Amino acid sequence: MIRIEGEPWQAMVAHARQTYPNECCGAMLGNLDNGSKIVRVAMPLENAFAGAQAARYELRPEDLLAADRAARARSLDLIGIYHSHPDCDAYFSTTDLKNSCPWYSFVVLSIRKGEFDHANSWLPNAEQTEAAKEELSC
Amino acid sequence: MAKVLIPTPLRQYTGKQDAVSVPGSTVGEVLRTLTTQYPDLRKQIFTDEGKLRSFVNVYLNDEDIRYLSKDATAAKDADTVSLVPSIAGGSTVALPPQEAGLASEPVELSKDEILRYSRHLIIPEVGIEGQQKLKAAKVLLVGAGGLGAPLGLYLAAAGVGKIGLVDFDVVDFTNLQRQVIHSTADVGRKKLDSAAEKMQGINPHLKLVKHEVALSSENALDILKDYDLVVDGTDNFPTRYLVNDACVLLGKPNVYGSIFRFEGQATVFAYEGGPCYRCLYPEPPPPGLVPSCAEGGVLGILPGTIGLIQATEAVKLILGIGEPLVGRLLLYDALAMRFRELKLRKNPECPACSEHRTITQLIDYQQFCGIPAQEPKVTEGEIEVKDVKAKLDRGDDFVLIDVREPHEYRIASIPGAKLVPLGQVPQHLDEFDKDADIVIHCKSGMRSAKACGIFRQAGFQHVRNMKGGILAWSDQVDPSVPKY
Repeated sequence: MIRIEGEPWQAMVAHARQTYPNECCGAMLGNLDNGSKIVRVAMPLENAFAGAQAARYELRPEDLLAADRAARARSLDLIGIYHSHPDCDAYFSTTDLKNSCPWYSFVVLSIRKGEFDHANSWLPNAEQTEAAKEELSC
Repeated sequence: MAKVLIPTPLRQYTGKQDAVSVPGSTVGEVLRTLTTQYPDLRKQIFTDEGKLRSFVNVYLNDEDIRYLSKDATAAKDADTVSLVPSIAGGSTVALPPQEAGLASEPVELSKDEILRYSRHLIIPEVGIEGQQKLKAAKVLLVGAGGLGAPLGLYLAAAGVGKIGLVDFDVVDFTNLQRQVIHSTADVGRKKLDSAAEKMQGINPHLKLVKHEVALSSENALDILKDYDLVVDGTDNFPTRYLVNDACVLLGKPNVYGSIFRFEGQATVFAYEGGPCYRCLYPEPPPPGLVPSCAEGGVLGILPGTIGLIQATEAVKLILGIGEPLVGRLLLYDALAMRFRELKLRKNPECPACSEHRTITQLIDYQQFCGIPAQEPKVTEGEIEVKDVKAKLDRGDDFVLIDVREPHEYRIASIPGAKLVPLGQVPQHLDEFDKDADIVIHCKSGMRSAKACGIFRQAGFQHVRNMKGGILAWSDQVDPSVPKY
């Protein structure tokens, strides 16, 4: 289970609305508490996908490295990645799966007509063949 | 010796340490020592073959070792090694052709192919990789008619590796006005053979599979399962619902197009996360309400425009580029020369693709669309064209009514027939004597059968439908009457 605190959650929604109709992406920093993940800080990152970003995103490894360092500096951990699906459901697409990493929670925000609609969190496996839905509270 | 920073989720394998100092003079050595020391960490980072997992990048301080000396990059005491995943995604699906079965098929491009596809290869969004995706792709084209013609020609030319064609019709003269894949000399040939010849002529590299069947609930899943995506070029509701449901069940995108007179529509259905045909139309219209091209006519160029929009979407889906026509119904009006777009939403109660779906297997689509399994054999109430001719020759006292449209009447007509278009029949009933001997005809006998029903319901006793309509008249009575 993953819980996103109010402040980071609002930041994620605002980020997703701001980049609409393009996809946004970012890192979620927080810690583990009794087996559940708690997101304390949302860190917007640049969508580095080189083509049309309405339906694609890409994170630069350097940015992720910086996010990991920022987390360590605040005694937090990098625990998840978020991105948005403009005018589309918050499912974990094949593209998401094939470019995922099993170490993190992947929160997908569905933005419809520029407004937040719903969100899901996913846990992909190491083989990138499937992703399990993770309980999300925000 | 170097310090390896351990990502949070992996610390469970390193006794909760967030960093581990590991001996080794190169990054490769450091990682091997680390995973020997913490064997559970090994399968998180390396595959069974001992290669770094595809999503793992290794950084020495701020540099990706791929751009240094890879495994052999020297590691000093003050150095920090980080494991950084590659992460990307998006709502678009790039079809991974290597996963679509038959992985043994070669997807390398020959020298001939590189020359042939040169104008693709020099577009950065396509390139060699994209062309290989096209070559590995398997597309099923349902129908080799109006939409199928441009689709078949362009998909073959574009280098789609395997195209399956479903059709069981033969080419006739009325097809030639729009089905540009068939030529005059092909009239009477199977559409499959004629289309295959043209497509293969354009691109001999193409693997073409002919499915000479009417797609049905019995064979659809079996045929569709071997393809990556389906392009629907059919013109009837039962097949449209069948193709949609089969695509939803198999999880294959359905590139849809439809045409009527001067207007067309296109969209991509059954695409991951997007709506399906039943989200838009849960139920078919009553039979006969929406005329087919044969009944209503179509501007010959129109299927070219719509078919090429479908072809474009199919190629984009294969390449995984651009913004697919998902959740948007593109409307084209040739007379106004305007495109419009309607937003399509996934219906949360959709019987085919929602969580509350009721369709878990294919059904009887003829019945679903209200079409009787067999044409009712009502010989009573029908009259042969030869008998109508005899009545006319004898000078019998009877009324011949033509229920076609005025513009059809101008193309061909039977002398003495009174024109009352089907839509106006109810308003004109009182012009006829209820006891009169009435014969009704249209082009082929469909509309006149409906008109007969209207007359009979109104209490007319002697109403008969001229079997086969003016087409049969031309065949059996007067060949000088043109067929259309």
